[in-house]
Parts: sequence; structure tokens; C-alpha cells
Amino acid sequence: MANIVWMQTGACSGDSMALLCADRPSIENLVEHYGLSFLWHPSLTAEHRFGDVLDALLSGREKLDILCIEGSLMTGPNGSGQYDTWKGRAKIDIVRQLAPLATHVVAMGTCAAFGGVHAAGPNPTDCTGLQYLNNQPGGLLGADWRTRHGQPVINVAGCPAHPNTMTRLLAMLAENEPLALDTLNRPTAFFSTLVHQGCTRNEYHEYDIEDNVLGGRGCLFFNLGCRGPQTVAPCNSELWNGQNSKTRAGVPCFGCTSPDFPANRDLFVTPKIGVVPKFLPLGVARAKYMAYKNLARAAAPERVVKREMEP
Amino acid sequence: MSRITVDIDLNRVEGDLEFQVDLEDGVVVDARCVGTLYRGFEQIMIGRAPRDALVITPRVCGICGTAHLYAATLALEQIAHITPPAHAVQVRNLCLMAETLQSDLRQSFLFFTPDFCNAIYAAHPLAAELRDAFTPLKGSVVRGTLKATRDVLGIVALFGGQWPHSTYMLPGGISQPANSRRILDSRGILAAVRAWFEQSVIGGRLEEWMALDSADALFRWQAAAGGRERSALGLFNRFSRDIGLHRLGRGTGHLLSYGVNPQPLSEARELPAGFFNADTQQIETLDQSQINEHVRHSWFLDYPGGRHPWEGETIPDHQPGSDRYTWAKAPRYGDKVVQTGPLAELRIAGEPLISDLLAREGDNTWLRQFARLRRAGWLIGAMSETLQAIKASMDQPHYIDPGIDIWPDGESYGLVEAARGGLGHWLRIRNGVIDKYQIVTPTAWNASPRDSAGRHGHWEQSIVGLPVPDPANPVDIGHIVRSHDPCLVCTVHFIGSQRKTHFNV
Repeated sequence: MANIVWMQTGACSGDSMALLCADRPSIENLVEHYGLSFLWHPSLTAEHRFGDVLDALLSGREKLDILCIEGSLMTGPNGSGQYDTWKGRAKIDIVRQLAPLATHVVAMGTCAAFGGVHAAGPNPTDCTGLQYLNNQPGGLLGADWRTRHGQPVINVAGCPAHPNTMTRLLAMLAENEPLALDTLNRPTAFFSTLVHQGCTRNEYHEYDIEDNVLGGRGCLFFNLGCRGPQTVAPCNSELWNGQNSKTRAGVPCFGCTSPDFPANRDLFVTPKIGVVPKFLPLGVARAKYMAYKNLARAAAPERVVKREMEP
Repeated sequence: MSRITVDIDLNRVEGDLEFQVDLEDGVVVDARCVGTLYRGFEQIMIGRAPRDALVITPRVCGICGTAHLYAATLALEQIAHITPPAHAVQVRNLCLMAETLQSDLRQSFLFFTPDFCNAIYAAHPLAAELRDAFTPLKGSVVRGTLKATRDVLGIVALFGGQWPHSTYMLPGGISQPANSRRILDSRGILAAVRAWFEQSVIGGRLEEWMALDSADALFRWQAAAGGRERSALGLFNRFSRDIGLHRLGRGTGHLLSYGVNPQPLSEARELPAGFFNADTQQIETLDQSQINEHVRHSWFLDYPGGRHPWEGETIPDHQPGSDRYTWAKAPRYGDKVVQTGPLAELRIAGEPLISDLLAREGDNTWLRQFARLRRAGWLIGAMSETLQAIKASMDQPHYIDPGIDIWPDGESYGLVEAARGGLGHWLRIRNGVIDKYQIVTPTAWNASPRDSAGRHGHWEQSIVGLPVPDPANPVDIGHIVRSHDPCLVCTVHFIGSQRKTHFNV
């Protein structure tokens, strides 16, 4: 048995709503087959009240196995945390109190991991993630913060986090499976795949058939702001709602698992150097990429050039 | 006679909510609805490229992001005089209906009915049936709801890529067209959701239930078969009315709806927009210029009276210890406090059953919740019809590129009905970028604080006058507040040890 306290800070509840959409495993299965129990979740539990849960944890009457934080950590105005309170107390102070008690601390979603949409310029609430503000280590708890077992905050990034990534991560924690993390403390079990992998527009990208306007069948990377080739996330290897992904549906990937999401620029425009995107697919050398693209375009079959293939 | 102030904390989506309630001899004499979260979206939008609103604003709300996407799209289309093709409008409507259906079902059976399992009802004759149906994560209706809502959101994903938080609506259309595969998949999903709704929620055929046009017809129909009595709705109706929820929690009588499902190439909506004036009992044409927001009791830089969103400001000014008490503004329609949501939507559309129930018993806790399930039934039928319309328009364009390099300066708005009621985005563009973005959510209307004339918001009104016999388990306040659909389950919580005497009379 492992218990979970799921706390919302500066959030839209999108991660909680996505959690309800998970199907492998579903939230019901987590409870039934993985021995997880929710001591507190703002939309799912009815048995306890938050204040009672808090008292039980802080007094040591109740252990805390998994603390999930959903939402940005609001430190404003002027460091008071009063932009986000519970009964007048700054939520950031409650998080600071609970984190050391937990065996695992999980940032559910990009807001709790890196600050997220609320940290977009001018960051009006002075918000941050638990251990990062965008790319910068630090955040609310500090870069060196560790659980009593020596583990940093696990960053289940995404806006929202992918439903099955959340439930699988919780299942792994319940089963005490070893957990490898990437350099941004995202679990590599789910963050070793690019959004680009499995995108049904890949053939268009392969032959450099790039769309200039939205609503088409081609690749969205060169002109329309798509960050799929740079973004580590399972969106196209584990479909959303069991059906689809944004890029398959013609929506650019906005890089929502990345620390800088949302980027501080026109989100539907790809920044370029000359005619080539400024940010290339992960790890690619510019000169070689340009050579490859020139060859690719020349090799493109008619059916792709004419956009006959449906994504 | 003693007067005490107690704090009640409510969980949230559109913003954290708490109530401060003043009790005099066990009766609520004043209520302050407190929004405890400020996120600064309206500041984040300033200076950004106009289309970024399609990515940023859905993130205002994890439950109704589709509605925000729709509102942002309409505002951008209005400012640049863009008319989307019919096929796109139909797909947008389908997706928003799927989201609303999801929200209505989750709100009813994950957030509202768990209160029926409260220990104080343990001796009620229906207690065992209620627990079997409504226990969180375990009850039969809860399980069915989890599956049905998960499935129905697949329709949004088929067209839009994912739910929540996608950006498939664009000024000029949608990002991909329907095709036969998507339509067949959607029909399959909808058929299964409909079968579950008929079997478990209403216990009968949808057409039959939707044809009921009066309170008498409703209760006669329900009593005529055991399956209907034992269905989720049957249980909900019998228990709610037995404990008197139909006599509890009356708020403002003024109703506001922005109208459901914009019609292609037209200003009309499938369910019309309007303002129901409770004083005259007349439905008036919606006039968005009547909308204004007050900040007299909010933690924002003060201005006198109310301001239309185009003139509005959102400059935080936290003043603890003053008579300001919330991060929410107070929207008003003219000088009227209004409520918005499915009850308003269906009454303004003249739906016969809801109109009859409202005329007989007035606004109340049971009716607000019943209206939400009534709308769920309507949505299932309307989604089927919309899928037929989409099939018939598959040969038409789904997107017409507006060809805009630099967005025109100007002001515009986009109004939609989100699950919780009227949602508006007001936009101003200067020099090709966003100069002002003001969002008035449905919860802002319903959960509004006092305005500059001291008028309470709708939720506050619905609590004032309520007897609270047991402040340790104020279950009636839970029922009332949850019937307003405060986005997520709200935890009604009176502080025991910190209870403070406000003043003694």
C-alpha cells in the first residue's frame, strides 16, 4: 500500500483532468491493482478534509508515500505567496512543509516542474517550478534539494502531462521499480522519445515537403512553429485519449514538456537562420542537415509533393 | 445572540474558492465568496502575437479548454472579419459539445453525488443504494462515468489531437477535416455513451425522456418503472427531493446565456443567447455592451463602478485586512447580478421541462443539478445530429487561410457557452500584437463577490439565510455550492480550533 497526496497549487486542473483520461492503467486500476490510495485529491476524494490530512501528516500520525504537486508555485506578491493560498496560508509554505515528509515528490505537469504557462513573461505572479524555473535549476525547493532517500523531484512534464505517463509513473513508484531520470529529472521510461517519432506527417518531413499555411497535410516544422523534432515526449508513441496526437491532427507541437514552454515568441512561426530553422532536430549538425534536406527534396515522390498522402 | 465567522474551503479549477460565512444563531447572515488564486493570464497575453491566444488561453481551464479555444478563435475572427466555413463550424460545435458532456457527467457523479454518501445519511432508506452507486472511484455509476467521459473525449482527440489543451480551432477553420474514419469512430463512441446513459443514468429511452415537458410528466414517467426509479437519475431525484434540495439554495433569478452552437454563415445559435430578466419574466436580447466588472471588493487596483471588459484593468493590489476579500472580480449585466450555466441556457432556449420546473419551484439546488443532466441528454442527441451534418459537408473546405501577416488593430470579443455557462474573451490589438485581453469566465459570474453597490454575487446570495445546525458537518452548504458546479468538488470545511468570534450583538 502506498498513499498519495495530490495537491494543486497555481493550476488549471488540466493534469487532474488528464489523469481521469488515463486508460493504461486507469485511475480505478491504480487503486485496485497497485495498492495506491488517495489520501487527498482535490476532485476525487470525499472522505477527508484537507486540513485534517495536513494535520495528520505534519504530526506524523500518517505517513506520506507520494506527494504530487500540480501547478506553478506562486511566490508573489513580494515573496508572500499570497497569490495562491489555503485559508490565508501561502500554498508554497504548505508545499515546503510537506515535501520533506514524502518518500517521493512528483511534479505533475510542466507548471510544477518548470513554472509553465504562468511563468511566461512577464511572470506576473513570480511563479516557479519545484526545482527549476524554466531551464534554471533552483525553483521553490532549490537545486540541491533531495527527498530523505536522496531523490530529486520527479518531473512528469507536459501541459498537461500525458495521462498514461502519470498513471504508469505512479504504478512504478508503487511497485518500487528503479527509476532513471534525464538531465531535467524527467523519467526516461517516458521521456526517451521525440514527439516527431510516430508523427504521421513524418514522410513529409523526410522529403522536406513543408507547409506554409495551417490546415494542410504537410510537415509543420519548417514554417509553422512545430517543435516535434526537438521535444522529448511520448505523444506519438502513446496516443492521447486512445486516439490521436496534436501533430497528427495538424496542430504544431508547442514543446509543452520543455522547460521554456511556452516560448517567448510567436508560437505559430518557426524562427529561422536563412531558410533553415534556427532550432534543428535534436542533436543534428546544421551543415549536414542542410545537405540532407537539399537531397531529400530532390528525391521527393510526386505523391508526397502533391500532398496526396493523408496524415 | 452571537455572531461567528467561519471559513469554508472549496476546491477549484477556475481558481481556488473559499467561503467566509457569518452565522447568527446558526443561520447564515452574510457570505463572502473568496477566490484564493491569481494567475495573471491577462498580463501574460499583452504584447504577444494574436494567435498565441489559441495556445495560451485554453490553459486557463483544464476542464473547459475547448470553450476557451473557441472563444479566442471567435474573437480573432471577429477582429479580422473572417467567416469560417460551415464544415469547420460543425466540427468545432461537436468538440465543444463533447467537452461539455464530459464536464456535466463528471460534475454530477464524481463531484456532486459523493455527498450523498455522507455519514449523516447513513440511516436513510436509500443509503445502501446511494453508496453502491456513488462511492468515489468504486460506485457503479462512478465507474460508468469514468469510462463514458474518457471515451467521449476521444471524439475531441479524433478531430483535435488531444484533450485537454489542444489548438485545432484556427481563425478561418480547423486544422484537419473530418473523414469517414473519424466520423465512424465518433459515431461508435457516441452510441456507446448513449447506451450507458439510457441504461444507467435515466433508465429508459433518451427520446422518451427528452419528450417529457412538465414536472408532472417527469415524475409520472420516473415512477412508472422500477428501472427508472433505481437509475442514477431516479436515485438522484428521489433522494435530493426527500432531503429538500428543491427548497434550498435560491440565488439570483436573472439568467444569462451566450447561446449554444454558432450556426454556419449566420449570427444565430442552435440554442439562442439571451438575458432572462426575473423582474419581468421576459427574455431580452443579449447585449454584450451591458457587461461590466466591478473590483470594489476584490484585490485589484480600484476604479469606481463597473467597467466593460475593453475598458477593464487587471492590476493586482493585495490588501489583507480590508473589506476586500477575493482575487475574483464581480461581473454584472447592467446593474443585475446574474447566474449562468445549464439552467440559464435551457430556460432561455425555452426548453419546456426546465421552464416548467423553474416556474413552479424557482431556482434551487436540485434544479441546477437536474438541468445539468437534462443538458447531457440534449447534448447526446445534438451531437448525433451534428455528426450527420459533418458527414454531409465533408466535400466543403475545413480551413480557408485568412492570409494575415499583420493582424489589424481593433477591438473584438468571442462569446461561447462553456460547461459552466457564458464565457467571454475581449481582445484589443494594437500594432499587430495583443494590447489587452480580458476573460470573463462563467465562474466569475456565479462566484462573484459584492459589487460597488454592495450587491452579493449569485453563490453568496444562495447561501444567505441558510440554517446551519451542525457547523462541524455543514453538508447543506456542500450541496448548494456544488450544485453551482464550482469546477471541481469543493470541500466544505469549517475550522474548529481557529473559529473566531466576529462580533457579538
